[in-house]
Amino acid sequence: MIPILLIIPLAFAILSLLLPRKWTRTIVIPGLILQLGAALILCLTIYTEGPQDYALGDWQAPLGISLLADGFTVTLLALTALIAALCAIYALFFLERYNREQFYFWPLFWFLLASLNGIWLAADLFNLYVGLELLGLSAVGMVALTSERPALKAALDYLYAALFGSLAYLAGVALIYGAYGTLAIPQLSEMVAGNITTQVAVALMSVGLLLKTAIFPLHFWLPPAHGGALAPVSALLSALVVKASFYILALIWLDVGALAVTVSAAQLMGALGAGAILWGSWNAFKTPQVKMLVAYSTVAQLGYLMMLFPLAIGVSEAAATMAWQGTILHLLAHAFAKAAMFLSVGTLVLAIGHGRIADLGGVSQHMPMALFAFGLSAVSLMGLPPSGGFNAKWLLLQSAIQSGQWHWFVVIAGGGLLTAAYVFRIFRVSFTETVRHEIQATHPMLQLSALLLAFIAIGLGFASEWPLRLMDLTGGGTP
Amino acid sequence: MIRVLGAALAAIITLLGLTLALWFAPATQVNLPQQVELNIDASGIAHPITAVLLNFRSYDTLLEVAVVLVAVVAGLALRERGPRVTPHERSADPMLQALTRRLLPLLVLTGVYVLWAGSYAPGGAFQAGALVAAAGVLARLAGYDIASRVDRLLRLGLALGFILFLTVAVSAMFGGRPFLNYPDEWAGSLIFLIEAVLTFSIGLTLLSLFVHAPGDASPQGGGDYGR
Repeated sequence: MIPILLIIPLAFAILSLLLPRKWTRTIVIPGLILQLGAALILCLTIYTEGPQDYALGDWQAPLGISLLADGFTVTLLALTALIAALCAIYALFFLERYNREQFYFWPLFWFLLASLNGIWLAADLFNLYVGLELLGLSAVGMVALTSERPALKAALDYLYAALFGSLAYLAGVALIYGAYGTLAIPQLSEMVAGNITTQVAVALMSVGLLLKTAIFPLHFWLPPAHGGALAPVSALLSALVVKASFYILALIWLDVGALAVTVSAAQLMGALGAGAILWGSWNAFKTPQVKMLVAYSTVAQLGYLMMLFPLAIGVSEAAATMAWQGTILHLLAHAFAKAAMFLSVGTLVLAIGHGRIADLGGVSQHMPMALFAFGLSAVSLMGLPPSGGFNAKWLLLQSAIQSGQWHWFVVIAGGGLLTAAYVFRIFRVSFTETVRHEIQATHPMLQLSALLLAFIAIGLGFASEWPLRLMDLTGGGTP
Repeated sequence: MIRVLGAALAAIITLLGLTLALWFAPATQVNLPQQVELNIDASGIAHPITAVLLNFRSYDTLLEVAVVLVAVVAGLALRERGPRVTPHERSADPMLQALTRRLLPLLVLTGVYVLWAGSYAPGGAFQAGALVAAAGVLARLAGYDIASRVDRLLRLGLALGFILFLTVAVSAMFGGRPFLNYPDEWAGSLIFLIEAVLTFSIGLTLLSLFVHAPGDASPQGGGDYGR
């Protein structure tokens, strides 16, 4: 059952590469339904029968490679399938005026999906590297799609960052293999000791992954890449792609290398997160372009994910669990909210023809649905109740109180105010009556798919129990 | 200046860290080469590297082949805006003509040998594919018209190796065996078939990246030294 989640996107990638152009659009919906169905069935299987692993080619790890599906994995698989499906429906209508781009978008989209599923399911350090390579290349290809000069520049910077990150990660993996003789994660988590070799390996892997996750101060490539790409691409990149390298980072710090990391190193990671929140929010507050605002907001929101390390390492088990749950919830809520935000902003840009914030005047009357979707996702990003973002920040704050780390409490709470400062820039302009530009009509599905994503981000506030309960079904991953 | 100093500092710290890491490396507890040795008869391949790449860890290789395919798809996506790439006129230089006519068969032959050798000695699809690509680049520079048009046939050729690999991997599941498992008696021949088709696809991929790389869209063309 488990490899089906890889086979479906890989098969559809090939189909959309080889079928005649008019067919590539037709097969998207059946493919999405299959993918979503497979993810849900796997969710149910894991929920009823507990975590499972799968020996590929019938070779047991460590000689072969295993896939591992536990509660956390299937939550991420379902999240990926759901967000990808809504972004794809948006892309079907958005790309209508991009004739050449739309043909190449779909093979890259399916490969991206396959690599994400592969990373969530991987239980082998080297296999994660291959997954990261596939993910990075398909993401770079998608950023470069329009082949306009700024897009190419952004894609090239992204490519260099991704390649350098992969190399640093690979060097760490090589050290681990040299020291322990195996790459299988379940086996490593029992064997790895806190010696200097492991520490250097963890440091190398962390630098590579921080670069790939675009954590301050290694975030330079993200705003032009995410802000310059086509709207459905930006949504996929901000919602899902950067989360994959964060997932591996968390796996290494809390599971594989748990004995090698120190409390002060974890505090340093938290400091990087605080820097990301401040720097990202400040730039989002300053930028004149609406898509860059959303991209810088991603830089800031990724900072919250880094709070996991100081809040979960070297503290009581109760505080660590709460930090872990808050981080997962933040990851889910941010994925939905940021996808919704990029899609709604993409619609606004399409309607007014460019992306200057100052010219957004009057969109509230012409495109209320898109603006409503933006507003709902902003509620979740700011962490106002009721929303997934609120529950996430609440858990993080409680964890900070419980472990007595008041400095992180201030950062998390203050971050919400900073978020409010930059998202209200959009509202202030959009509610003015004067229409500076002709506003073109756009397909209603564009606004609807963004709205649906935003509703899920809000709905997560009422249904947080569900993913958290599923997550408890885990062998590894929790601290 | 500050950038250079920063880079130098980062390099020195990395070097120091790596030296320490290797100096104090603990003794390995798991011996994977030994496990490969024990299972190599069941893999259908006599050479340990090929056995690891195409049987024990064939999943990694399947994804690596996908990476190569994604690279060329992304390359073509950027390229197709321009018109069809026409080769330079067939060079009239008799030396070049004679050289390519003798070198091309040799290169292809070496490629086939390296592919075949992969089952019992170092070699295999990636190396053989590089040789095939070299032959293609040489032919291209001598003015032969190959892989110029981005059409469905070219895309099929690029994807063929991946398609076959994936089909073999999935077909195992219809027989109730796990994904990527080979039937015992056919393992050797299936792996060779996959490698042969991969050689072709990898060679074509590298050649397409060469042919469709941006740069010779300039009016001057890409340095035609023949004339």
